[in-house]
Amino acid sequence: MSTVTAGEPARLSGWRVYLRNLWRWREFCWFLAVSNLKARNASASLGLFWWVLNPLIMAAVYFLVFGLIFDGRRGDGDFIAWLVSGVFVFNYTATAMTSGANSILANGKLLVNIRFPRMVLPLSAVIETGIGFLFSVAIYYFIAWPADGVGPGWHLIWLVPAFAAHTVFNLGLAALTARLAIPFRDINNLLPHLTRLWLYLSPIIWPLSLLADRGGWLETAASYNPMFGLLTFYRTALMGRPWDGEALLIALAWTALLGAVGIVSFVRQEGNMVRFL
Amino acid sequence: MSGPVVEVEGVGVRYRPYVERAPTLRRVIARRGLRKTEEVAALRDVSLQVVKGETMGLVGDNGSGKSTLLRVIARTMRPDAGRVTVRGETSTLLQLGAGFNLELSGRRNVFLSGLAHGMRYAEIRELFDEIVEFSGIAEAIDRPLKSYSSGMLSRLAFSISLAMRPDILLLDEVLAVGDAGFREKSRGAMRDLLARGGTVVVASHSLNMVAEMCDRAVWLAGGEVRALDGAGEVVEKYRAAVASAR
Repeated sequence: MSTVTAGEPARLSGWRVYLRNLWRWREFCWFLAVSNLKARNASASLGLFWWVLNPLIMAAVYFLVFGLIFDGRRGDGDFIAWLVSGVFVFNYTATAMTSGANSILANGKLLVNIRFPRMVLPLSAVIETGIGFLFSVAIYYFIAWPADGVGPGWHLIWLVPAFAAHTVFNLGLAALTARLAIPFRDINNLLPHLTRLWLYLSPIIWPLSLLADRGGWLETAASYNPMFGLLTFYRTALMGRPWDGEALLIALAWTALLGAVGIVSFVRQEGNMVRFL
Repeated sequence: MSGPVVEVEGVGVRYRPYVERAPTLRRVIARRGLRKTEEVAALRDVSLQVVKGETMGLVGDNGSGKSTLLRVIARTMRPDAGRVTVRGETSTLLQLGAGFNLELSGRRNVFLSGLAHGMRYAEIRELFDEIVEFSGIAEAIDRPLKSYSSGMLSRLAFSISLAMRPDILLLDEVLAVGDAGFREKSRGAMRDLLARGGTVVVASHSLNMVAEMCDRAVWLAGGEVRALDGAGEVVEKYRAAVASAR
């Protein structure tokens, strides 16, 4: 039996029940992610390869502008490995945010029709994006090795926790953008600008040595950028860069904060979503 | 027939179209749209019970609240007032093509839609042949859904909903789609569902169908219950009102 009363918290009553329902719809979540990948595959002739090509082309453009024209390499021997890892990692977050925002808007009919924990939709969007990201990581060394001599090693073990934290981080962001995009469609126009700004503020197209030169408050401020810690962690995993415990802590704190805020605010809004579609 | 499987008690739903549909950032910042909330009542103090094994019809003009009532019973929408209690697994067919991805094959979409309804993958695999057989889609099941006609889409969607063997089936105007042969077949399937002790709530403009298939019916007007009685009587009253308004 299930009762829905006006004024109740708008969800499938209670966190335990909610999680149980989320578990019940786990197969749907996975199947939806794979189906969307397949649909994308069917509609573009290069299909899945766009997951790699997109960030790769982006990295090539940044290399041309910031690496060659502005000579941002500043003597860093592994600038390309650095740049490509940053672009790949950032692309996972940026794509998760956009597809999270779309996951609710694009499935209006489904929401009107069927009762299920809505969290399935942003979760599925993040899974879909995550598969694409792993696909791009798989070819990382085909670029990093010939360009800068950066190869795989035992440090790759850290990829597992980095990816896990990053995925929770992205899920929080996807839920947040989905939550905001339902009443405020403006978000879709705003997102590309916000992500670009965030990209420029993150240590992706500029090397860390740039910060070290400036020193002081700029370095401190940059290290609190939510992306900063994650990128540092990934570069330990992918490039074998030294450990940075403080950056890792900041990354985990952001992950916990964004994950919790995103998911809670999304779930609280669930019962009202159909009204806005 | 035993106790009610659907209980709707004093349910009210209000839409605030200008605020809710497009509350642009500008309007929120200017706090303009928020103040003059022009409310539209979609349902006003609606109470009804549907008992196990019966078919309940919903009739009324466009915009009378039939679809909103079905959404509230499906619990995809929370009412602003009142309470809805549903006992049993519900299968819904409120909008055509919900949960379908037109780029993908019919086969994949059967799984997608079934999983969205909360079925298990293994269950769907077992029911798959039955679903395809009933829908009459035949070998087109491996073609992408975008090549289907709307009749084929509705047949497939309806076949999935029925194959779930739900306790309660909620339908919105879908029987009107599909050819005569399929309509006959779906009526038969609905009779089977009722014979098993299932319950059907259907909103329709086809008054003959309501009078013939439903045990009882509700006539909604302006979001309020105008009449709630045997299907024949309600259809009669509604027809009389429509005729006198002309």
